[in-house]
Amino acid sequence: MRLIRAELRKLGRPLTWGVAGAAAVFCVLLAVGGAHNAALEGSTPAGHLPSCAELGVPAGQQCTRAKAAERARVAQANAQPAHVAAQLNPLAAGAEAAGLMASLPGALALALLAGAHIGGEWSGRTMKNLLTQQGWRWRVLAAKLISLWLAGAGLLAVCWVALAAAGPVLVRADHLPAAHQSAAHALGLAGSQVARALLVLAVFAAIGLLAAVLTRGTIGATAATAGVIIAMLVAASLPGTGRWTPATWVQDWMGFPAGQASITSLPTNFWSRFISATAAHGELLGLLGLAGLLAACWAAATVLFRRQDISG
Amino acid sequence: MAAVIECRKLTKRYRGTTALTGLDLSVEAGQVFGFLGPNGAGKTTTLRILLGLVTATSGQAWLNGRRVPDPAGLARVGAMIEEPAFYPWLTGRRNLDLLALSGARLPARGEEVAAALDRVGLTGVADRKVKGYSQGMRQRLGLATALLRQPTLLLLDEPANGMDPAGIREFRTLLRSLADDGTTVFLSSHLLAEVEQVCDQVAVLQAGRLVDQGPAAALATARTQVRVEVDPADRDTALALLAPWAARPDGPGGVTVEAADGRTVNEVLGQAGIWAQQIVLKRPGLEETFLELTEPVGGGHAADPR
Repeated sequence: MRLIRAELRKLGRPLTWGVAGAAAVFCVLLAVGGAHNAALEGSTPAGHLPSCAELGVPAGQQCTRAKAAERARVAQANAQPAHVAAQLNPLAAGAEAAGLMASLPGALALALLAGAHIGGEWSGRTMKNLLTQQGWRWRVLAAKLISLWLAGAGLLAVCWVALAAAGPVLVRADHLPAAHQSAAHALGLAGSQVARALLVLAVFAAIGLLAAVLTRGTIGATAATAGVIIAMLVAASLPGTGRWTPATWVQDWMGFPAGQASITSLPTNFWSRFISATAAHGELLGLLGLAGLLAACWAAATVLFRRQDISG
Repeated sequence: MAAVIECRKLTKRYRGTTALTGLDLSVEAGQVFGFLGPNGAGKTTTLRILLGLVTATSGQAWLNGRRVPDPAGLARVGAMIEEPAFYPWLTGRRNLDLLALSGARLPARGEEVAAALDRVGLTGVADRKVKGYSQGMRQRLGLATALLRQPTLLLLDEPANGMDPAGIREFRTLLRSLADDGTTVFLSSHLLAEVEQVCDQVAVLQAGRLVDQGPAAALATARTQVRVEVDPADRDTALALLAPWAARPDGPGGVTVEAADGRTVNEVLGQAGIWAQQIVLKRPGLEETFLELTEPVGGGHAADPR
């Protein structure tokens, strides 16, 4: 515990505050854009359905299907203001924050912190000091992993607080309708997503840990972590890889809507939009896959670090 | 006395470079032990192996009776390896506090940290960020780190680097007081004058091999030379008579021999009817001894592998 406290205190550095500030600004700007988009979409005139000629299709079954699709699109657009207002509810905003932190923004933020917090021990030549005080190398790695994961959880909290503060203001400013959801429902949704996001953040932190042990430097660790996350997304879009890629496990575990369906006025994540396949394999597979990845990264990092010469 | 550091046939190879070759070393408790050698001789590698930072390719080492690497054996060991590095965005006190938190529990952490800072004369600047420290101040902070856990064994690698003369003097006094309190000090240094003044025992390393070990004074005495000036006509006879003492010509009537005193030399020459015109005892300092031991054939020092 003392070692974790020490590692958490090391995180009290300008870079961490900068990343937290950037995360808060990013969440608020996203909410500003989302609320504005929803207000515009909601202004689509309801009731008017284009004719078959206007839709450019011949009368008959094809036109009926086209009209039904159009009707659904308009209904969805009309529902956007209320939906976004619900997302920006101070309690429900936790789900939004969790979705953002368990996807690309959170991954990149943790890549930066992994580089500085873990890789920096080699670049700054402080690892030798640390290991002469604490010779049990696995303990050092465990403290690094846990503190980085807690930093990720902290970023999520910062994002939630920022959204909770900005949400009601934006709903009022963009004249979005009041969201009809109970506080219990909003809190339940947020709690579930935050809990799920904590596992994803642990996986991102473990990837950062392994990258730092392999590259032994700030820049290398940051670049390698970000590279691995992007490679995960690229791999998920390859035909045939389907359910066996870590990116898909994140999507399944978090319950992110797939592909284009994930792009709404206020996106719940920055992850599944990069995955074209609708890969709903179930949350159990996602959980098992992520837990396995976490364990594999931890095991590889400890084995490598145990044998590593600290010569810097 | 029990050995607190023991190395047997310790060898370390980095990719293509041998940093240490079959080092045998023994340091007894309570000594101030000087570890000398030119750059790349393998001093820092030895320290890193002892601290478990680097794994030996072969051979064995023991620290406080525990086979290295053993984290439990580091509990009462203070170390400062090369230029100490710290977290620049934190104060000196905070850095020390974090290192205190990172290792075995200290019952009164704040007090121990303050005492260590005070011992190295950093109390006045302890609350300044380390990024503003001079090299000498960083060295002192490194020393404070090593002293944090009231160690029974101190491993110090070039601790006086960047210190001003007053700092070096304080450091010398500190080492002596620690030794008087029973702390064993293993000191790797280039400052031979410091080593000569402070150390009880000295080991000299050259290109990864131990070339000599013994009391600092004895190391120099063993290399005492005698220069005898005789009549130039008698020089060759004198050279032949003094051959058992590695005699070599030194000027027209001069002969230099490896001997601890001039009495024996004078006696041998006198028995053959050769009378010395002058006898000069040349006792080298530790620096000359060091240079003689570490100067490779052809001059210049080995390249630094680490």
